[in-house]
Amino acid sequence: MMRWRGAVGGLLALVASVPLAHAQLQAQAPRQDFVAPAPGSYALPPIQSAADGWVLEGNWLPRRLSRYTHGALTLLSFVYTYCSDPIGCPLAYATFDTVKHRVLADPALRGRVRLVSLSFDPGNDTPAAMRVYGGDNARNTELPWHFLTTYSTARLKPILDDFGQDVEVELDASGAPGRVRTHMLKVFLLDRQGRVREIYSTAFLHPDVILNDMRTLALESTRQTPDTPRPPTR
Amino acid sequence: MTISFKQVCGTVIAVTSFCAVPLGEAFADETCNSPYTSRLIKGQEQFLHVWTLGVKGIGDGSDKLVTVDSDPVSKTYGKVIHTLSVGGRGEAHHMGFTDDRKYLWAGRLDDNKIFVFDVGSDPAKPKLVNTIKDFEQKTTYVGPHTFYALPGRMMVQALSNAKDHGGATGIAVYNNQGKLVSTHDMPKGMKDIGGGDGYGYDIGINPQKNAMLTSSFTGWTNYMMDLGTLIKDGSAMKNFGSTMTMWDLKAMKPTKVFEVPGAPLEIRWSLSGSDNWAITATALTSKLWLVKQDATGQWQAKDVATIGDPAKIPLPVDISITADGKGLWVNTFMDGKTRYFDLSNPEAPKQTYEKVTGKQVNMVSQSWDGKRVYITSSLLANWDKKGADDEQALRAYGWDGKELKQVFEVDFYKLKLGRAHHMKFSARSGSTASLGAPERVAVATR
Repeated sequence: MMRWRGAVGGLLALVASVPLAHAQLQAQAPRQDFVAPAPGSYALPPIQSAADGWVLEGNWLPRRLSRYTHGALTLLSFVYTYCSDPIGCPLAYATFDTVKHRVLADPALRGRVRLVSLSFDPGNDTPAAMRVYGGDNARNTELPWHFLTTYSTARLKPILDDFGQDVEVELDASGAPGRVRTHMLKVFLLDRQGRVREIYSTAFLHPDVILNDMRTLALESTRQTPDTPRPPTR
Repeated sequence: MTISFKQVCGTVIAVTSFCAVPLGEAFADETCNSPYTSRLIKGQEQFLHVWTLGVKGIGDGSDKLVTVDSDPVSKTYGKVIHTLSVGGRGEAHHMGFTDDRKYLWAGRLDDNKIFVFDVGSDPAKPKLVNTIKDFEQKTTYVGPHTFYALPGRMMVQALSNAKDHGGATGIAVYNNQGKLVSTHDMPKGMKDIGGGDGYGYDIGINPQKNAMLTSSFTGWTNYMMDLGTLIKDGSAMKNFGSTMTMWDLKAMKPTKVFEVPGAPLEIRWSLSGSDNWAITATALTSKLWLVKQDATGQWQAKDVATIGDPAKIPLPVDISITADGKGLWVNTFMDGKTRYFDLSNPEAPKQTYEKVTGKQVNMVSQSWDGKRVYITSSLLANWDKKGADDEQALRAYGWDGKELKQVFEVDFYKLKLGRAHHMKFSARSGSTASLGAPERVAVATR
């Protein structure tokens, strides 16, 4: 059963990834007409705790989401593989990609940051499909970028609710739920204690700001144990 | 490639299929909400939620959220279809949507309670899901006034403070679950940025500029005083805000204080293209003020127009900007007029139309396309007019660019509801369902 789901899902993801690549190229960053405030010149009060639950990465072995939200500075967003809205998931992907390259070039952040993309659609986005969606980013260990999904909507929904991430399913002409998800793009920045310290939506998704927010949190924790993304284990 | 503030909002509005839905979305009258609120209603608003002050001896006497059907094709168009009493009278005032537009936060200026209504599950039947009762204790502020969404959070601009009930106050930030995240005092006596009187009123944010603008009104002692008594009290009349403040939004730090005499109230940023200006009206001096970046990128404030005859104190109390930033509705409470200003040149707005829309008028809200304009009547319980002039109503108008034509009226006294104050729009989703919802629930019913 799992094998069948994985195979079909992977195929679907492969099909979906064709238009996705184009959509990612179309991603549009929000305009930024200001210089991001300097790291450490402002505070990022904890907003809420990260949600927890069971997730999947690469295979059908369940893992706790908390292993992906603690112990490092974490940038997390919810996506689905076939989303093609230029200010939706493709923008999140493009922003993460930009952040990844800039983190790797920054000694203050390199080795202290992980990225997490968690699927809105466990029905289509199997672990294999998410791995295909992640491409080289899912395999590259220079900066951990985890492409996660869940077993089912029932497992996913509490995670979404706890994060305060809305999502709805588009209906087809007959009123039956279709594949397309409608959602606000939200990107969550978590500190190494798993606390949400900033939430970015489309109008707010400026890489300069995200990086300075990370540096601000890194400065906070320099007196503490260095952030080191751990390989997730069960 | 980058997209502008307006483009971001606009795209979210246009929502064809993926990021949002072709139904409910932000901007109070649809042009004035937080830019972080999703799901703008670009088409027909189906419901108006009116935050209503209870009046002793009228109906149940309680503050309530009144929902009116505003869909012309509905059988109950123009009728009250739902009321939700919250108990007691605490000076119900303003409301604001959360970023996902599923919840509506509504405040009371006297007892400081904040009510959170679920308007996403069924906007025709809002449900009270949370009441924040410790705003004053947790923040030391009094009078939760403006509710302005940030991603995952709600900013609450207060009007007063617990220590002396004067105008010095601040902004509280809550997460969407109702937990206090941080507080930020309004600037007072900060000489390096231009001073500051510590007062607060409204919030307006321009994300692409990292700019947050705030305005200033008065404290609990004044807004709870009888208006006639207040006007005769020279000492009390000195206790009104006379500043606006520009903030570094990201850092939540005030960067410049502008002298804007006469209680600058609602703030509206132009949503047009890369416009870099906001406008406000001063209640006591009856002026329009423009806050704009100069050629060097510095923010400046200047008086750009007069509203009516300031000597008669028309008391401009609410404004509503058109989606293209070319026009502005202004309600003046004392003379009951709704005025339209041409904002084609924001440096020199010109009044082009006016109409008496009531014996007293307060809030004005327009649809995104500008074709529908809604008016309510109550300013504050103790500031509303007395006797026959104390009419309480919601009035809906069509606007063809030349004339406001009334299409329906809801008499809030006749229906024993109370005083009609702030309005928000909502609409049902006809094309989406909750994740995991049973299919039978998913089918649109309207």
